[in-house]
Amino acid sequence: MVYSEECDFIFRLKGILEFACQLDNPNGVQSQSTISKSFQDLRSKVTSKNIVFTVCNSPVLIWPNTGFQSSVESLTEASACGDILQWIESDDGGSKKSSKKKDKKKSGPTVVNMKLLFEVTEPAGNTAPSLIRVSTQQHCVKMPLPLDCALSVTTDERLETVCTGLVEALNKQLADMEEVVLQYRKGSSFLVPQPFHFQLPEPAGLITVVYPAGVPDSQLQAVREDLHRKFELPCDRPYLRRANAFHFPDAAYKDGYLRNPHIHLNPPNIEDAKLYLVQGVYSYHHYMQDHVDDNGWGCAYRSLQTICSWFQQQGYVETAVPTHTQIQQALVDVGDKEPRFVGSRQWIGSIEVQAVLNQLLGVTSKIMFVSQGSELATKGRELANHFQTEGTPVMIGGGVLAHTILGVVWSENTGQIRFLILDPHYTGGEDLQTITDKGWCGWKGPEFWDQNAYYNLCLPQRPKSI
Amino acid sequence: MGRSYFVDEAVGEYLSGLQAAPGSCVTGLLAGQSSPQRDFVVLAVQTPHRESEGQLKALKGVSPLDDIDVEWVTEHAKQVSRMLPGGLCVLGLFLVTPPELSKDAQNALKRLIFAVEKYIIKGRLWELSEEDVTDRVTLHICSKTKKLLCKTFDVKDPKSSAKPADWKYQTGISSSWPMLTCSVEVDLQIPVTGSSSDNTDKCMKDGLRRWAKQIEAAYCLINGRQALDDSELISGQAHVCSFQKKNPKTTNRQTLPARIFVSDEQSELGERSSALVQVCSGSMRVRGVVHCRAYIHNNKPKARHAAQAIKRDIINTVCSRVEMFLEDLCINEGSQKGLCSGQQALPRRVFAPMPISGLSVCDYMFPDESTADVAERLKEMLDCETPEEDIDTSLENNQLFSIISGFEITDSQDDDSSKHVSEIQAENHKIQKPPKYYAVGSGRYSSFMCGPCSSHCSPCHSHISTVFQLMEKAKMFV
Repeated sequence: MVYSEECDFIFRLKGILEFACQLDNPNGVQSQSTISKSFQDLRSKVTSKNIVFTVCNSPVLIWPNTGFQSSVESLTEASACGDILQWIESDDGGSKKSSKKKDKKKSGPTVVNMKLLFEVTEPAGNTAPSLIRVSTQQHCVKMPLPLDCALSVTTDERLETVCTGLVEALNKQLADMEEVVLQYRKGSSFLVPQPFHFQLPEPAGLITVVYPAGVPDSQLQAVREDLHRKFELPCDRPYLRRANAFHFPDAAYKDGYLRNPHIHLNPPNIEDAKLYLVQGVYSYHHYMQDHVDDNGWGCAYRSLQTICSWFQQQGYVETAVPTHTQIQQALVDVGDKEPRFVGSRQWIGSIEVQAVLNQLLGVTSKIMFVSQGSELATKGRELANHFQTEGTPVMIGGGVLAHTILGVVWSENTGQIRFLILDPHYTGGEDLQTITDKGWCGWKGPEFWDQNAYYNLCLPQRPKSI
Repeated sequence: MGRSYFVDEAVGEYLSGLQAAPGSCVTGLLAGQSSPQRDFVVLAVQTPHRESEGQLKALKGVSPLDDIDVEWVTEHAKQVSRMLPGGLCVLGLFLVTPPELSKDAQNALKRLIFAVEKYIIKGRLWELSEEDVTDRVTLHICSKTKKLLCKTFDVKDPKSSAKPADWKYQTGISSSWPMLTCSVEVDLQIPVTGSSSDNTDKCMKDGLRRWAKQIEAAYCLINGRQALDDSELISGQAHVCSFQKKNPKTTNRQTLPARIFVSDEQSELGERSSALVQVCSGSMRVRGVVHCRAYIHNNKPKARHAAQAIKRDIINTVCSRVEMFLEDLCINEGSQKGLCSGQQALPRRVFAPMPISGLSVCDYMFPDESTADVAERLKEMLDCETPEEDIDTSLENNQLFSIISGFEITDSQDDDSSKHVSEIQAENHKIQKPPKYYAVGSGRYSSFMCGPCSSHCSPCHSHISTVFQLMEKAKMFV
């Protein structure tokens, strides 16, 4: 996750707008223009005086289409967007601050969450209500559109500009949604258009793409190819699959697993050495998680789970991270193990990891054999290359233990090397402090390995696809 | 530890002035506002006399208490509820009996209070929250000694027994109550599935309920401030100055504008991946602006209670007028209701000063009615004379389209509906001016105008059987 150095804030505006229309004949020629008309009405709604942005966890309300008015006197059109922070109550002031102090790394831009609302008071007229009844056979279509716009800005950008930008973004998103709805409509069956945000390499930055709900990534290949061309993205790795969607810094991961605990560590300071790290996002899997007591036998399974989580989160696969049982079953399915293997507490090694990655994820891996632990210190170049080109986590098994290697610090000249190790033998809870303090995720030297045991490493290869 | 009812002195005067025929009983309603700490009563109205020719019941003989027309009392309560702005409600009943019936009065009151509550909440689009007070007051007055016996029943619990309560008189109870106001734009598209009139009613109900939930969940600003939390509505205003105490008529009533912000979020729709498509036989649209009011007591009221009061008024006013319109329609169109098209004006809201307290009440005026009709209804329902010039009809404008000459196609670009509307213009010409029967049970029984013969007798005997048939149908709503 690399943020643009300049962007201090992300203003995120979410809201639901109900799309509704009545179609006489869903298959008729009129229906397209009826649908477009309804979208046009929604766009008018969004540019009307009635829309209001409310800043979450604050008393601030902004009317962006009335020459910028806000409910708080000190926020005017001239205000810098950073001024808004003083009004926002954070959920837990205390603990956040202390962990920030320890974090020497920049934790990324501040997210300001806003919600889209419509005022129903202060109407233009005051004609009392009428009831209008129409009795013709019609198809009544209703669909909630999940609007979600995000803007990256610097701290001195004016709040007014941000709000105008958000209104424009809403308009554009509605236009994109209209396109998607029309494209994927079959008669009276409409798919909900869903926005996804992606953080692309500069100059593109944060973009939003609308995909139709229910259509799997595999069927959206052509759409992605177009976008890869448009944004000049490499054609061999995914950037725009749903799993690649930008994870907003303030959002917790619902599954509870820690992501990339290594970013909270400082790499060792070795003279003349370079840092080669895993690319992208993985989840930390370890002993005792998911109510599975695999203490003493499950370390390789956990390393494999960490690797699977990487492929899932980079968008290469949509399948969930496999359980111990599913891993064992896969090995039976490929003929590597007898059926009674399933449910047992037998260890697995790099070869089995390779087999499961192939069977369940369609991922191929290279195996590296090291006859003595002491030799690992000489494998700097291979590992550096691996992290540079593939950037996947590496499973290493030998002696009686399995670990995951997430990166190396290696000097081409002096040969000095350190290994970034994620240890699956941890039995505690998802406590980042403990995990980093006690070295469950940490930098180790060559002495970490059993100097006399032989090791096998499984190096998963990225599939070439978008 | 019973509840305390703070009652306006003028209510006391009204109650003392009630005349009961010897040996008989008088029933009536008590209206005001409940808050967790205490309750306020600002209005008392006796049950109006019911025209009952052709229905002379032989006295059942046991007791005048048995002769109390429960149905009529509940109907009166419902009508009065519709006339109360937000924050105010019917919160109890009184019963005046001769001394010999005092013992049995409690049972009668208990029966009545539960029946009234049950009838009032029928068709209501919002639920009581946990904080709402569910105690209702029953006041028994002995016609000879004028002694008052005040008790409460918890209407949430049918088995509850009477609890003692305090009844205290004070002057100018509501003179400083702030008034919340707003005008709300309503534009609801409601699909109609099926074709019978019951279907139409159900679809309308469902559509209104969905809208009501949006309003309940809406963000609210009162007087420019957020109205979410437990903060006080008006800081530093709790003290009523002594001048006002002595001169309750001089009101220092604050008007607090409310602003309501909704989102289209509907949790029932949840995470859908496709649109909800229904095949409809038609649609209904309620479109226009409603003017809303609510009052909140000034004993350290919380902002969110004030927000709740105005929101409930918004929901009630739209629901009431739709109900009234459909009841009226049912009488006129009968079973044809589901099939017709057109644009018709819903009754519009007018306000009048409330007897006693200086608060206002409201009523609904059909397009062909006048302030004279409103004044008549106010006399009957609230037992008070209101000069016609005091009735404020300016808050909601008359719907612009002309009923006589056809109707304006409003700038609703609602797709295909507009062309259909013009086609049936001729047909609707008839419907727009229906012969109206304002019958008991549909809530418009005070001005009994018999359409077919346009006589203002009450009721016109040659049409009475039709009227009662249609009355029965009218009760079908909800």
